[in-house]
Amino acid sequence: MKKNKDVIIETAIFMCGMLSIIFVISIFIFLFKEAISFFWDYNFIKFLIGKNWYPNSNKPLFGILPTIIGSFLVTFGACVVAVPIAVMSALYISEIAPKGVRNILKSLVELMAAIPSVVIGFIGIRTVVPFVKFFFNIPTGLTAFTGSIMLACMIMPTIITISEDAIHSVPWEYKEGAFALGATKWQTVRRIVLKEARPGIIAAVMLGIGRLVGETMAVMMITGNSANIPDSIFDPVRTMTATIASEMGEVVRDSAHYKALFAIGLVLFVITFIVNFIADLFLRKK
Amino acid sequence: MRYLKFFLLLIFVFFCLYMQTRHDNHKCISVQIKGSDTMLNLIQALVEKNSKLKANVSITGGGSGAGLASLINATCDIAMSSRSIEKREKILAEKKNIKIAEFKIGLDGLAVLVNKNNPVDKLTLNQLKDIFMARITNWKEVGGEDRKIVILSRESNSGTHIFFKERVLRDNNKNAIEEFSVKSLMMPSSQTIYDEVFRNPNALGYVGIGFINSGVKALSIAVDIDSEYIYPTLENILNGTYSILRPLYLYTNTKQKDIIKTFINFVLSDHGQKIILETDFVPLKCKVKNKVK
Amino acid sequence: MSKIEIRNFNLYYTSLHVLKNINVNILERKITAIIGPSGCGKSSLLRSINRMNDTIEGVHVSGEINIFGKNIYDIGIDVRILRKNVGMVFQRPNLFPISIYENVAFGLKINRIHSKKNAINEVVEKSLKSVSLWDHVKDKLHKSALSLTLEQQQRLCIARVVAVASNIILLDEPCSSLDPIATQKIEELIIYLSDQYTIVIVTHNMQQAARVSHNTAFMLLGELIEFDKTEKIFTNPSMNETEDYVSGRFG
Repeated sequence: MKKNKDVIIETAIFMCGMLSIIFVISIFIFLFKEAISFFWDYNFIKFLIGKNWYPNSNKPLFGILPTIIGSFLVTFGACVVAVPIAVMSALYISEIAPKGVRNILKSLVELMAAIPSVVIGFIGIRTVVPFVKFFFNIPTGLTAFTGSIMLACMIMPTIITISEDAIHSVPWEYKEGAFALGATKWQTVRRIVLKEARPGIIAAVMLGIGRLVGETMAVMMITGNSANIPDSIFDPVRTMTATIASEMGEVVRDSAHYKALFAIGLVLFVITFIVNFIADLFLRKK
Repeated sequence: MRYLKFFLLLIFVFFCLYMQTRHDNHKCISVQIKGSDTMLNLIQALVEKNSKLKANVSITGGGSGAGLASLINATCDIAMSSRSIEKREKILAEKKNIKIAEFKIGLDGLAVLVNKNNPVDKLTLNQLKDIFMARITNWKEVGGEDRKIVILSRESNSGTHIFFKERVLRDNNKNAIEEFSVKSLMMPSSQTIYDEVFRNPNALGYVGIGFINSGVKALSIAVDIDSEYIYPTLENILNGTYSILRPLYLYTNTKQKDIIKTFINFVLSDHGQKIILETDFVPLKCKVKNKVK
Repeated sequence: MSKIEIRNFNLYYTSLHVLKNINVNILERKITAIIGPSGCGKSSLLRSINRMNDTIEGVHVSGEINIFGKNIYDIGIDVRILRKNVGMVFQRPNLFPISIYENVAFGLKINRIHSKKNAINEVVEKSLKSVSLWDHVKDKLHKSALSLTLEQQQRLCIARVVAVASNIILLDEPCSSLDPIATQKIEELIIYLSDQYTIVIVTHNMQQAARVSHNTAFMLLGELIEFDKTEKIFTNPSMNETEDYVSGRFG
């Protein structure tokens, strides 16, 4: 009797586990199926390194290089802004802040993570966009840089929360051992705590990057959405996600444009897959 | 806490069920209208004023292309479009065995907006074309200050985008291949174009004339250098002198429900045309035009 | 000659009086054991000697601990230099999750004792030799320290201290997580090191105290009951409480 129950529960758990794998595989198959038929009619290389995206022209051009560069630039910029600040905040919350401050900060950071990206975009348009235009004296504030700043705000809570957990879980014995050898707080943090928490911090950053690459709403609102290869981070850009989101509603099913958007989705999928794969390598290397 | 959540969920479920049964009781027909963002408010007003229309009407935007795509995919009943249907869309519809009926219901003028502090207040169509294709990149080339031009355009799914491209960039030539410069910023809505022009003295963009107000400046447009520069007022559009003028369409499947026929007849009626005028668009019928004057 | 003089020393944890008026002289290059039942304050006393109690919130002290005639609770004392000179080994091996080499070199680097690579290599080798670990690990210096056995880890902890500490080593129940054979080996090491170092060892194991120490202090409820030669404490103690404890009547 009891054995039967065990078998049922085990099978149920197994099924749930398999379900997620089936989901991922079917998503991939669906994407692949829609995208691959696009490449029968359109050269893959031309798609990847083409500089022009004119899907509705009489002679349509589907070049996604500007959007790949746009996605990369915004993601990279956001990382450069967010990672140092987030790791420092995590260190402050976990190692330096008094208990009362710590609890308040933690809940505030978690609250920050709950801000929807549309709201972030909206705030960005009202505040950061004019500021960037004025401060850097550029023609428009709708740039990759602005997008980076706002996205940094968006991923910081994720990175802070997960790194804080990683830093907090460094055993007290390690710190005690370092202090007993005459280390200062900073030396302990730098040489022991950060080293021990590194896999957790890298995982946090990778999660952040994953969210960045896939983020749509905020970048659509504040990066200017111009499918142009930018000269610098202070130029407007367009990301792959924004392209899909803004054009998916319009396309007629099974048209070349429709398939091209799926092809972008496939490229996006492959990129995120590579990011996760690299993250995994890092975590295992430890 | 857990019970509270459960309780709220229960209430929500009952509420949904209630709404569902209520609809069933009325035996209402549902009508899906989808398409041009420009026409959204107009159609909304028309639906509200039409008391005979006893149906659940849902109106969503997304752009003319989205509306037509949805009509071809048979996921909506009426497509609102601020451009005429394209050949390739017709072919796709034929493939799916869908016959489409076209109704021209009114006109809309597109205004080119610049910041209030921009000294430029008139351009020719050719200058506009050069600006939007980034062949003119500085305001001083058209008589303004030494500032870079920031081009604002709508997304390519917008009927406004396509109409502006065909009228200004391609000069209504169906075989032309001119496109907006890749440097142009694709804004998700007319409101965002207005906002950016309002704040940014370098920017210019195009929107429906309903957006003109004292916060920004609309440019006077001339067909060519020898012609008169015309400011986009309702009168100038009604008398046809303003050049960036576009038709507004409703598209339906020819195998439509009666209720949709009735609705379109209402739109084309005097009453309907008057509502079009009241919502800052331009009606088709001269009779109404005379009434205004 | 006494190396560590503890004078009228009191320690409070918030309102709790943990150590009560401790007076004791710990002799140079001798092994001093501190014994007593759990909670008697022996670890607290040990941790007062290198001020590790400072890292715990709510601890305050009065009285003096003089090392080489200098009160370590004086205002001008740099705690980091104190902790470097007075090394400490904990109950459980607490190696850092870095390589064997880096563990030993850590103290040298943070205290900037040596900056040249050769000098550091030399000290690492010397320290590992002094805890008889060199032959075991010389081929895997850059492997993770956590791959060693518990006994080797504890040896490495001692090597880490030996690399920077000049004279005093404090051991806080260093064998409590080890098996008997490993315990014996660590005890041999402790005796070997007492040629050069003043050693204070806290232990709950009376046999261990009897085996390794020259002098023994017996503590009870935060008070130092008796301090004397180890043989005397275990064979002929002057206080009744001490006799009760060492004869196994309580504790």
